[in-house]
Amino acid sequence: MSSTRPPGAAAAVPTDCWYALATSAEVDRRLLAVRALGRPVLLFRTQAGGVVALEDRCAHRAYPLSAGALDDDTVRCGLCGFVYDSGGRCVSVPTQPRVPFGAHVAAYPTLERDGLVWAWLGEPGRARLHRVPELPWLTEPGWATVGGTAGIDAGFLLLHENFADVTQVPFVAPEIAPAALADAPPPLEVVVTETTVELGRTFPASPLPGWQAQMLGVADAQGATVQRAFFHSPAVWTDHWDVEHGAGTARMRFTQLVTPVDGRRSHLHWRVSRDFAIDDPAADERMHSMFGDYYERVQAAMETAQAVLDLDGPGREVNVAADVAALRVREIVRGMLADEGQAFARDQNRP
Amino acid sequence: MAETRTTLREHEAELVVASVTAVAGGVRELRLADESGTGLPPWTPGAHVDLVLGDLVRQYSLCGDPTDASSYTVAVLREQESRGGSAFVHEKLAEGSKVTMRGPRNHFPLVSAPSYQFIAGGIGITPLLPMIAEADASGADWHLTYGGRTRGSMAYADLLAGYGDRVTLAPADEVGLLDLAWILGDPGSGTLVYCCGPEPLLAAVDAVCEKAWPPGALHLERFAAKAADAPADGERAFELVLAGSGVTLQVPPDKSVFDVIQDAGISVLGSCHEGICGTCEQAVLEGEVDHRDSVLNESEKAANDAMMVCVSRCLSDRLVLDL
Ligand code: FES
Ligand code: FES
Repeated sequence: MSSTRPPGAAAAVPTDCWYALATSAEVDRRLLAVRALGRPVLLFRTQAGGVVALEDRCAHRAYPLSAGALDDDTVRCGLCGFVYDSGGRCVSVPTQPRVPFGAHVAAYPTLERDGLVWAWLGEPGRARLHRVPELPWLTEPGWATVGGTAGIDAGFLLLHENFADVTQVPFVAPEIAPAALADAPPPLEVVVTETTVELGRTFPASPLPGWQAQMLGVADAQGATVQRAFFHSPAVWTDHWDVEHGAGTARMRFTQLVTPVDGRRSHLHWRVSRDFAIDDPAADERMHSMFGDYYERVQAAMETAQAVLDLDGPGREVNVAADVAALRVREIVRGMLADEGQAFARDQNRP
Repeated sequence: MAETRTTLREHEAELVVASVTAVAGGVRELRLADESGTGLPPWTPGAHVDLVLGDLVRQYSLCGDPTDASSYTVAVLREQESRGGSAFVHEKLAEGSKVTMRGPRNHFPLVSAPSYQFIAGGIGITPLLPMIAEADASGADWHLTYGGRTRGSMAYADLLAGYGDRVTLAPADEVGLLDLAWILGDPGSGTLVYCCGPEPLLAAVDAVCEKAWPPGALHLERFAAKAADAPADGERAFELVLAGSGVTLQVPPDKSVFDVIQDAGISVLGSCHEGICGTCEQAVLEGEVDHRDSVLNESEKAANDAMMVCVSRCLSDRLVLDL
């Protein structure tokens, strides 16, 4: 039980889900290699501007296609020259006129929305039956967004369970939390559906945290601060903080795009969007350093938790009432895996 | 540090009837639109919602396009012996009516498999429609046998005809009752059976599968409570331990496990309180469950690891839940 599991051998990851693999800006006429769901993926843009996602491993030998070259809309393997079209079919090999029958690499459905490149690594036919959550604040005018990307040595479910625990913010990052958060926490409402979890709570009017007061030019919230958090899918967690102040409502959106590299490693793309102080580079810098710091602390905490799981496996846990959202997220993932015929490893996370 | 009070509830929204379409004799299809602009939660094939119809709450399967974030579609049969829900839908709802919806939830999920036998009786076709779309998109091998009284009473028969010989339409006035022994004659390994329809059909399919199919192959859904019996000598009291919360409670004969948990201030979800919707399911760690619900099938009941706390009770003196 207390043996260390080899990285990557751990937990199952739901495949019937659209995951964000890159930003639109990152995908261009170069070959971009990423890893998701335990497999290598190659991304590039066609001449017409579409995004292509292919299995990043040549059908000939163990060699990544991303180490090859893009000619028009075909990829030439860098080792011995097999050429693949954007559908993953091998269309020519240098040493013989006939293409080996059936030679191909997997091609994954993609779509581009809200400045992100999403890919479907599950059964390709099912892609069109599933939605990508809408995150309009990432690209709409009237919003300013800062963000970053982190490779985290912790499973995707640990990250979601952490986001579900809104009560940890005052501990992990007291300076960013609404002031009222620290002393008398308002009741937490958890709203569930088959596939989603939403948390909400409303803080009474109170002094704003210093950074926000400064950006808004007001010292106190005049009305309630409404905090809402959403588990949309294993790929997306968002938080909404709306503060009523003298001149209107200041809105913030935290977007956390979680892409499982495998069962115990994740990519986190985080974005913090605000609809105030939007043309203000100093505010951008402040937000970036403050929240970059916050996500670094989350990363450190989750890597510590994953290390405990790796070393000692799952243990008995005591849950408190406020954990109901995290438990619900775990239940949804367990259900997704069951429907896909995958086992929810008992030590996926904790029991 | 002050306590954080936490409440748990199901998603609820007020929807507007955007269209009403007659899709077969006695069957109305309702498209329920979200006018709030926030979008409706995603769902998967087999999911259902509660509709609040006057004083009644009824469950209806979602049968539209799962990627449509702006509306849900249900189809409702006018039942001869209506318990009031279908009469309400047929008489009181029109374009523009407002309806409160709870959910979606899913206790009839489509498990991934290489092949499926779908069996629908009458309006039981509704949860199977999105399942069939998914099975087809997955490239699975599947077949649907769809029985009904008459061709004209069978909703979506035209749409299904588009799948060609994967679909067998079997109106009883033309071909008689479904020949289940033949339809289920080949328990192929890896094949799953999904069935929804009236109680006699479910019972018959259940009986055939019990005998000839591997355990776990059959998945069925009921929308009316099967009669569940209280013991002749009256209900008994027992001790209830909530392991996760670390509390021990007493369940008296006249109170449900659900009510006892809730009275203790612990959040549990519930909807129908009749043992048919599956919302209140809890994991059982210890104790011999007296199942009274219509959600779990025989093998799930025998597994004794889950129960519907709104109606089911305990035969032993101590029941331990993972809550
Ligand atoms: S490894 Fe790619 S062509 Fe040989
Ligand atoms: S509340 Fe519906 S089954 Fe218990």
